[in-house]
Formats: sequence, structure tokens, C-alpha cells
Amino acid sequence: MTTDFIYITLADDDEDDRLFFTDAFSELKINTKVNTFNDGVELMDYLNNSESVLPNILFLDLNMPRKNGVECLLEIKQNERFNDIAIAIYSTSSSEEHIEETFVNGANIYIKKPNDFNTLKKILAEVVTLNWQYHTSGLNKDNFLLRM
Amino acid sequence: MFKYLQLYKSTIFLKVIFVLSIAIIFFIGGITFKHITVLKNSSIWLNKSYEVNTELERLISYIKDAETGQRGYLLSKDDSYLQPYYVSKDLVKVSFDKVSRLTKNSRTQQSNLKKLLYYINKKQNYLSKSLYLIKQNKTDEIELNKNLIEGKIAMDSIRYKIEDMMIAEKNLLNGRQKAYEDTMSYTPIFIYLTLLITLFLITSAFLKMNNDLSVLKKANNVLMVSNEANNLAEIVGNFGSWQLNIENNTYIFSDNEYRLLGHLPQEFEASLESFLKFVHPEDLEFVIEKTKNMSVDNNLPPFTYRIIRKDGQIRYFRGLGRIVENASGNKTFIGTTSDVTEEIYDKKLIEDRNRELETTNKELTAFNYIASHDLQEPLRKIETFISRLVDKDFNNISETGQQYITRIQSSASRMRVLIDDLLQFSRTNKAEKVFEKTDLNSLLENARQELGQLIEDKNAVIENTDLPMLDIIPFQIQQLFVNLIGNSLKYSKENVTPLIKIKSSLIVAKDEELLPKTKDKFYKISVEDNGIGFEQEYANKIFILFNRLHNKNQFDGTGIGLAICKKIVENHKGYIFAEGHPNEGSVFTIYLPTT
Repeated sequence: MTTDFIYITLADDDEDDRLFFTDAFSELKINTKVNTFNDGVELMDYLNNSESVLPNILFLDLNMPRKNGVECLLEIKQNERFNDIAIAIYSTSSSEEHIEETFVNGANIYIKKPNDFNTLKKILAEVVTLNWQYHTSGLNKDNFLLRM
Repeated sequence: MFKYLQLYKSTIFLKVIFVLSIAIIFFIGGITFKHITVLKNSSIWLNKSYEVNTELERLISYIKDAETGQRGYLLSKDDSYLQPYYVSKDLVKVSFDKVSRLTKNSRTQQSNLKKLLYYINKKQNYLSKSLYLIKQNKTDEIELNKNLIEGKIAMDSIRYKIEDMMIAEKNLLNGRQKAYEDTMSYTPIFIYLTLLITLFLITSAFLKMNNDLSVLKKANNVLMVSNEANNLAEIVGNFGSWQLNIENNTYIFSDNEYRLLGHLPQEFEASLESFLKFVHPEDLEFVIEKTKNMSVDNNLPPFTYRIIRKDGQIRYFRGLGRIVENASGNKTFIGTTSDVTEEIYDKKLIEDRNRELETTNKELTAFNYIASHDLQEPLRKIETFISRLVDKDFNNISETGQQYITRIQSSASRMRVLIDDLLQFSRTNKAEKVFEKTDLNSLLENARQELGQLIEDKNAVIENTDLPMLDIIPFQIQQLFVNLIGNSLKYSKENVTPLIKIKSSLIVAKDEELLPKTKDKFYKISVEDNGIGFEQEYANKIFILFNRLHNKNQFDGTGIGLAICKKIVENHKGYIFAEGHPNEGSVFTIYLPTT
């Protein structure tokens, strides 16, 4: 029996955050395959490899060494091969500049890292089960930032 | 300027008068000369006429003498009577020649003379013929008588002719006398008139000069005063001036120009070279380059350079100049030199301070970033790990341990509130303030939604009148509503339904007790609650950052919320006031300018 997996990728330099992220998905009863990268360079190397399986949803931390989230976002949006990837910004900051910048550059949703594990689980469940087609077509600055 | 132009015109006027006067004097001289000549001529003519008359009379008397002599001889036959007859021939000739000479310019007299000569010859012929007849003793009485009678007729003709000539001479003299008198009669009047005109011209020239002189004197006085004022201004303003006469390439330096260089006024000769000696060697080339083309370009754009004063001090000078042309077309290059040393030092100081401020600002921004990211991150992890601990292992921890964990949790959440509030406060400070015409009703609605949970929890009632459209920074005004309503909800009385009334009205500043007395119009928006209120003496204190009226165990809070409100209102050039009545409630009043 073949199961349809949702491929999830996270690029975050923070080890704790990666741990919370994978823990949250393992506790959620959703068929997901999660892989993580320590920074933007590792992520782009993986994506640019034609043999790689492209994720359905990509979670991007903004503040990363070597190559930050915005740089990754710009590169991904320039490559047609990555058109189907839904991009969720996953950041500690909720500053207007960051929200504005990533929205303009084509990210699909903005998630502020929560300070509670249960909230994190709720958010991730919400994002994974989101109807992306519907969300993207009606996307505006008000619903870009995910509020829980 | 107009006055000086007039003076310039008057010099032309004076030149014209001078030339006219000279011409008139020459004219008078000419006329006088001519008249003296006429006078002299007329006296010559008069003399001549007398001479002619005398000579004519003499002529006739000679002829008479000859005749008388002959008659004597005829009667006495004495030869001695013939003496005058012989002499008279020569004398008549001499006399005739003289008359002829004197009247050679008169045609009438000449023709008269010709006839006279004819008659004289005739008479002399008759005389000599009668004498011959007598000497021959041919006493032919008839012939002799005939001869004598014809001689008498000839004599009469001579007499008439001479009378004619004398009359002609007299007429001539009369004519000349008349012409002379005519000339002489109008000459004095003419000379007198021209003299009068000259006198008038000279007088008016004198008056004009006198007038010009007084104008000049006045102008000179004004100039002297303004010169002195200029000198004072130069001393006070710390600048000097110089002039370059383009024609002869000479310089004049003002007194203060010397003082700026550390010298006494006019201590050395003004010239470009003597000035360049003071210029700092490093700036010399630059200054020479700048001044090289000034008299060609007619302009010296402002430039700054250094000089070394007599006492060795280095000063910064700024120079500039331009060409000035006066009414008579003389060109002078005028320039000023100001000592801008203090200015430059001050500017450097300000620049340094600005740089310091910029650095401080950058540090502050960096600090904000640290607060928003780096501080939040560990805090978030602490909270997340605690939440995991509570979820998974809470029951395995001892009771005191559980208490500690609860304390840790509340401390962490308090820290989060502090960080969030601080961030918000710094965000209201931000430089970019975009004003937009916004409906305040919709901002209030947004604020209500933001506080939805709290309003529901407290069961609060919020009433409001219609709010205006204003040119404001939308997110800040929304924050203002959130903070004020949040404040009212936080300090509500237990067991009493919180009632918050928001009212708005248009007012004029001078009608409000707390506003400056101007005619500016404001929107007054008040937020009134029925909460615990506060003592009026704290009305100003509550807006100060980190100032709290209550113990944090009683009411949680950071003391930032109302400070943010004040900041926001100040950003909008408005005013905020608080009024408190303990146990009755409080009123926060905001005034926002209409424009």
C-alpha cells in the first residue's frame, strides 16, 4: 500500500527549533516526511540537485548564516522548477519590514515562531492541511501573517 | 543712485555752458574788433575828405593866382606880375596829382577830375595864348577879348567842377558817416545783450555748480557715514573688503582686511602679491588658480582657504567678489574676505556630533534588533521547553518543583510582555511617519477586534460617537486606541461592568483650558471609564516611561503603554491629558490637530 506523503522541508540554523519542528510533526498524526537543513546554502544545494525530491511545503527561517531566508526565497522564485513549492516563512521576528519584504518577494505565508509547543503543533497542522490553491489565490497582506 | 546720475548729467551741462561762454566771448571780441576798425576807417575817411577839400581849394587858388598875375601884367606890362603865373603851372600840377591820389577810390571823383583836368588845360591854354598875343604886341583887341572871355568861361567851368567835387566829397563823407552811425547805434545794444546772455549763462553755471556742490557734500556725508557703518560692520561681522581698479591694476584693502591678517590698518601696501604672502602654502596654488580668471570672468565665486596671520595663527577665510560698473563706465572689482574659522570649527563640531549621533542611532537600532530577535529567541525556547516539560513530566515533579515551574512560566511571560512593549515604544519613535487620511471609526473597530478576547472576558461595554476622518499615521492611532481601551479594561473595578465612553468633537484651542491660546482647530477625543481611577496628582506622572501607580502583583503592566500613547500623540503634534477620580474612573483626553 502506497501512502501519499506530504514532503516538508525546514531550513533553520537553530538546533532547538529543528528539534521542536520534527517533534511536533512526529506527534501530529499526519503522513509527512520532514527533512531539515542547517542553513540556506545546504538547502539550495539540495533543491538544485535534480535528483532531489522537491518539498510540498518549505519552511524558511530568515536569520541564517551564509545564506539567509530572503536570499533563498529570491533564488527559489527565480527558478520555474520550484513553482509548485509553497513557501512558509518561519521566523522569531514579526517586524513589519520582514513581513513586507517576504510578502513582496512571493512567500505564501508568514509564521511567527510560537512560544508554546502546543501552539506550534496547532500552527503546523493548520499549515499542512491548508488548501494552498485557495489560500494563494486570495492572498493579501492581511491573511499573509498566520494568526493563531 | 539717482542723485549721482544727476550729478553726472550736470557735468555735461557745465561743459556745454563753458563752451557756449567761450564762443560768446570770442564773438563779442570779434564784433568789438570790427567796430573799432570801422571807427578808425571813418576817421581816416574824414581826414581824407578834408584834405581833398583843402587841396581842391588850393588848386583853384593857384589858378586864380595865375589869372590875377596875368591881369596885372596886362595892365602894367611889368614882368614881375608874371611870377605867380609861371609858378602856378607847377603848383596846379602838384595839387591836381594830390587830389587825384586822394580820390583814386571814388569813380565819380575820378570822372570829375578828368573833366576838371580838361578845363584846367583849356584855361591854361587860353592864359598862355593871351600872354603870347600880348607879348607879340599884336594888339588885336578883338581876338584878345575873345580869348579873355573864353578864359573866363573856362575858369567858371573849373570853379563849378570843383564845387561839384566838393559836394560829391561831402556826400561821400555823409554816406560813410551815416553807415558808421548806423553800425555804432546798434552795436552797444548788441554787445550789451550778448554780455547779459553770457552773464546769465555764467550765473546759471555758478548756481548749478553751487547746487551740485551741496549735493556732493550731502552725498559725501552719507558716504562718510555709510563708510563708517561699513567699517563697524566689518569689525562686528569679522570680514574685510578690497577693491581692484581694473584700469591701473591697483588694490585698496579696507582697514579690517588688515586687521584680519593681524596687521594695523594700511600697514603695508595693498596688492595681490602682498596678500598672497599670508595664504597658507598648501592653499596657495588653489587661491592663485581661483583668482587668476576673476577679471576675465567678472566674477569670483565663493571659496574657502587658509591663511597664516602675522602672529602665526592659522585662520580660515572665505572670499568672493564681482565686478561693479559705475555710471560713467568705470569698472572696479570688489570683493570681501570673511574670517570663517569659528564657523568651520563649529561646523566640524556639529559634523562630529552628527556622526556620533548617527553611530548612537545605529547602535540603538542594533539594540532594537537584539531585543526583537536575539532576546526573544532564548525566551521563546525557555517558554517552549517549559510547556513541553509541563505537558510531559509535570506529574513526576514534586509539588515545590511544580510551584517553581509555574513561577518560571509567569516570569518568562512577563519578560515577553516587557520586550513586546519596549519594541512597540521604539517603533513609535521611528523616523518614517507616513500620514494618511484615515477614518478613525475603522481604526477604533480594529482596536476593538484586537482586544476582543479581553473585552469578552471583562464583559465590557464600549460606546462611541462618530469619529472624524483625519490625516494621521494609521497604525499608531490604532495602537493609541488599543492602549487606552486596554488601560481602562485593566484598571476596571471588580464586579462592575466596565463602561468605556469614547466621544469626539471639533474645538478651537483657545476655548480649551489646557491648550495654548491660539485659533488652531483640534479634534478632541475623550476616553472615559468607570474604573478605579487615580489621584489627580499623578495625572502627569502616568505618562512617564516605566512609571506605575500600582504594585505589579495588583495589576500586571510594564509602565510603557501610556508612555507610548503620549509619544503617538506628540508624533501627531497633538496633546494628551489624564483626569482621575479615585474609585470613580478616569478620563483620557486627546487633542489631534485638524490639519
